Amino acid sequence: MANMNGTFKSIELFKSISTGFLSSSLKTTLVASQAVRHTTNKHYAPKWKQLRKWKVVKVELPKFDENVDDLSPEQIRSRMKEKGLQPPRPWIERSLYLSCTGGVFEPYVPPEGDGKVSAMTKSGAKQKIEFVEKKSKSMMAVRKIRSFDEDFEPRDFVESAQEIYINAHNCLVSKNKLKIREYVTERAYPEIRHNIHDKTIHWKFIQSLEPPRMVHARCTDVITKENVFSQITVRFHTQQILAIYDRFGRLMHGSEILAKDVLEYVVFEKHLSNQYGAWRLHEKIIPDWMPPPEPSLKTFRLADTNIQ
Amino acid sequence: MQAVLRCARSTVLASIPDSWSNLVALPALCKQVHMSSGLAAWSGHNTPMRWPNYNKTIFPPQELTEERRLAYVCHMKTNIKYSPWKMWYIACLVRGLSVDEALKQLSFVLKKGATAVKDTIQEAQEMAVAKHNVEFKSNLWVAESFVGKGHVVKGVRRHARGRVGKVEYFHCHYFVRLEEGTPPDHYYYHNRPKLLVSAELEELGRLEGIFQCRRPLPLLQLRPASLVSPQCIQDWHDGREFDDTGTVA
Repeated sequence: MANMNGTFKSIELFKSISTGFLSSSLKTTLVASQAVRHTTNKHYAPKWKQLRKWKVVKVELPKFDENVDDLSPEQIRSRMKEKGLQPPRPWIERSLYLSCTGGVFEPYVPPEGDGKVSAMTKSGAKQKIEFVEKKSKSMMAVRKIRSFDEDFEPRDFVESAQEIYINAHNCLVSKNKLKIREYVTERAYPEIRHNIHDKTIHWKFIQSLEPPRMVHARCTDVITKENVFSQITVRFHTQQILAIYDRFGRLMHGSEILAKDVLEYVVFEKHLSNQYGAWRLHEKIIPDWMPPPEPSLKTFRLADTNIQ
Repeated sequence: MQAVLRCARSTVLASIPDSWSNLVALPALCKQVHMSSGLAAWSGHNTPMRWPNYNKTIFPPQELTEERRLAYVCHMKTNIKYSPWKMWYIACLVRGLSVDEALKQLSFVLKKGATAVKDTIQEAQEMAVAKHNVEFKSNLWVAESFVGKGHVVKGVRRHARGRVGKVEYFHCHYFVRLEEGTPPDHYYYHNRPKLLVSAELEELGRLEGIFQCRRPLPLLQLRPASLVSPQCIQDWHDGREFDDTGTVA
């Protein structure tokens, strides 16, 4: 029915034009499903074409359909010259400040089968549990942290790490751009804020199934020997509720009532040599053996994605 | 002098960019040059800004009992080099059609503005799928389609006897809103079906008469079928006394 409507409308449009005021400008027919013109818009006397052209004073129209990204730098330069604009500054006035590192150095490799069996069971106890105390490099890093922070205790640190984790996620949900920077490094900021615009997120931290555990620690210096950054990986095994609604209030992902067990390896970073440095969420390590996340409720066209 | 400045700042930065390659890194400034965005304040022209803001409204999460809210997406193309009065015809053509039908029709409309309208609708369709959580790109229809007057450049032409004529070069803005779902049967209110409870219905053997009648009808009110209670229609059909006073809410 809708199809018929469309074709009738277009035919009506053609009719109104073919018989009305604009009929001379649009005399076409459909010949073998290709539009063919039987009239031209050329004047019958080409002798006075030049004079006819000079009648109208040529005016250069602004190019609204031109996309800046499609122009080469030379073309942009010529356009700016036409407008009389100065080129941008060749140097950058604002100084660069590194408040966090760009990634994780010597990332932790979580053992396979972690979190599958409870440590209370026989098989779980038999399972090889790695203690940080046995890792020499991590202990050296902890010692370095203690040289800057005398009161640093891994046991107290993991509790505060969980609080930072919860606060960061609460800021994410409330879309508090300013507050989140206290809990999240600059490197993690675009990742944590990615794809949350126009969405309503309901996130709830229910409980911690196992106490958070420090599994990895490293320290490095950036550019100079004194500029020390430290990264600590903490293992969280928690229960969380996540429900994501789209712009129109329809459930996109997750559930309001079903809790999920989440096993995560979160990297926290601190700028030790900075007096005002704080432990902040830096990255999450996702091992290869981790099962894939829950698929979305929507279907996709394969042609639109890059899946081969 | 510049070389000295460069050396001073080269400790942190890996490489000092070339003066002209910085142009690519400053899109905001460059866009003002070409007046392609609404931020060209210095040029004195105002491109429409309110229409795309409708895409930013976030609705609260729906209750389980509520009917699923239909998605919509608003899109526009500004300063198309075409007359707004000519573009109106194309905008009217597309109103109330499904997206696929609209694109099909626009491919064969022999007007300059049709390409711009087609591009706008295609972009809106892609936006709906990518950003507005529309699952099926064909499950959209053109809910609103209208034109606005854009930038006008005034030129001059000569006539005979030294007389001067004004030449206006018009641009137009095209606005479209795509909504999720199937298009309605009748987009315009004046094309809606009107109920006739008359003897002709019995001849045709139809319970709900949905066709137009030019004769004035005595006694009975002309109302759309949906507003007449089913009991009333049933009573009339069975030949009983029917109560025409009630109206279904």
